[in-house]
Amino acid sequence: MSESQQIKVVDAFDLDDELRGLLKPGEMLRDQQGRRHRLPRYFYEVPSRDEATEIRLTPHFGLNEFVLVDLKEAPRLQEFPRYIPCAVRMLAFFLEQFRAAAGMSVHIAVNGGYRSPAHKMAIDSSPHMWGTAADIYRMGNSILKTKELIDRFNDLAEELSDDVLVLPYGHETGKAVDDHVHIDLGYIMVVPREISEDRMEVPQESRPRFAFEERRKRERRVPQPVAAGPENGKAE
Amino acid sequence: MVARAQAVEEKLPVTPAKDSVAAAEVSLFRNVLKIKKEHNLEGLGIAFYDLQTTIQWAYNGDQYFHAASTMKLAVLLGVFRQVERGELSLEAPVHIRNRFTSIVNQEPFMLDLSNDAEPDVYSHLGRTMTVRELAYWMITKSSNLATNLLVDVVGVRTIQLALDELEIDGIRILRGVEDQAAFEAGLNNEVSANGLLKLLRLIADGKAYSKHASDEMLKILLEQQFRSGIPAGLPKATRVAHKTGNISTVHHDAGIVFVEGRKPYVLVILTQFPAETARGTAVADVSRDIFNAIAEMTYE
Repeated sequence: MSESQQIKVVDAFDLDDELRGLLKPGEMLRDQQGRRHRLPRYFYEVPSRDEATEIRLTPHFGLNEFVLVDLKEAPRLQEFPRYIPCAVRMLAFFLEQFRAAAGMSVHIAVNGGYRSPAHKMAIDSSPHMWGTAADIYRMGNSILKTKELIDRFNDLAEELSDDVLVLPYGHETGKAVDDHVHIDLGYIMVVPREISEDRMEVPQESRPRFAFEERRKRERRVPQPVAAGPENGKAE
Repeated sequence: MVARAQAVEEKLPVTPAKDSVAAAEVSLFRNVLKIKKEHNLEGLGIAFYDLQTTIQWAYNGDQYFHAASTMKLAVLLGVFRQVERGELSLEAPVHIRNRFTSIVNQEPFMLDLSNDAEPDVYSHLGRTMTVRELAYWMITKSSNLATNLLVDVVGVRTIQLALDELEIDGIRILRGVEDQAAFEAGLNNEVSANGLLKLLRLIADGKAYSKHASDEMLKILLEQQFRSGIPAGLPKATRVAHKTGNISTVHHDAGIVFVEGRKPYVLVILTQFPAETARGTAVADVSRDIFNAIAEMTYE
């Protein structure tokens, strides 16, 4: 991202109730193996479709490519401003390397970039909710629908990094049907430089989930006047 | 009319007075039997309703046939049900993906797009199209990919619910298209001529959920690009809002026919033929006979 393309970072706890309810910042989820992962809290705010197209995370990947969704995403999260976890820039960086190694363009599918926890495909936790996974449906002019093509690009991704996870052909069911390469960097949480440590509050396991939430709640409480009558005490 | 007509078979009663509605009906019935024989049809179902005269006529109207692509009319109805209820927008984007789940064992399957003559949806793989665009291609070029995507969007239960709400008997929807495992298990969508007639009558009368929804559906149906069925038996200028259905052994067409200077009529023709027989022109021949019968009718 260039200097002229600075994009606003937001703490999802400062968003309105509806957005917080959909993005579930800091909430704990379990993956298919039962491992726990806390959802991201810091997001890039994408003000408009035009800016999403203009902002380049890397030379060949625009921010818009990671926020393509269809009607499976919650309607509010299809509206601008849109929110995408800050870790997406790490995914873009990896995909740029992948593109260079493949020598061809890399096309992320709709619903194949960031998917919020409210997305209808979000059943267990998946790195798509962290903005660190991509489903690639096309490489150059080749639609990825055969085992040969998917294996070939899976191998290439694995050669680039030992840390990247790719899923084998037919991964969802073990059947010989698939239509994308899944590249996954894992559950990466990025705290942007713009965020100061003294602003961070560590979420707790038991309620209150976040210290500041309880504090805000306390501050909102207005002492109620005590009315006379037996309801307020023991009847005598 | 149907039961009576079938009972008498070719031994028809005394010929009615010339130029009467009854005469046209008898003549039509004779021709239908002739067409059935000529084309070696194993099954023939016809249902007809004329909005001008309110005459209704059917032959094997309640017999079920494999629906083939005529089931897409029910999908269209299901889509507009959701739109009318505000649960779906026609402009909502849908991910174009060739991966579906069989109703048998929930096994995944893909459509064989290499045989698909319709590249309009296929070329958007990985991207989105709107619900409106998918509905358009599902009907006008009978896109199987668009159909299965819309079935996924609204759900089979919603489609059947729409049929039940509008009291349309004679259409049974179990699944999308090209679900080979379901086909082999004998789980198929089925339609009767009377079922499709009821659905199209509601659209023609502006009663398929609302006048607006009916008009929208009619507009799409009028753009139909396959014209070898009902339109092939009509004068070229005749406008037909219709949906065809073809698989190896069936050839159907169901539509609303707009003839200049009169109210439209609704016609459904379902044909089934032996696997070794080409589908022929039976649907167009029946369509032509019906059109001629209407032209000859004088109303008492």
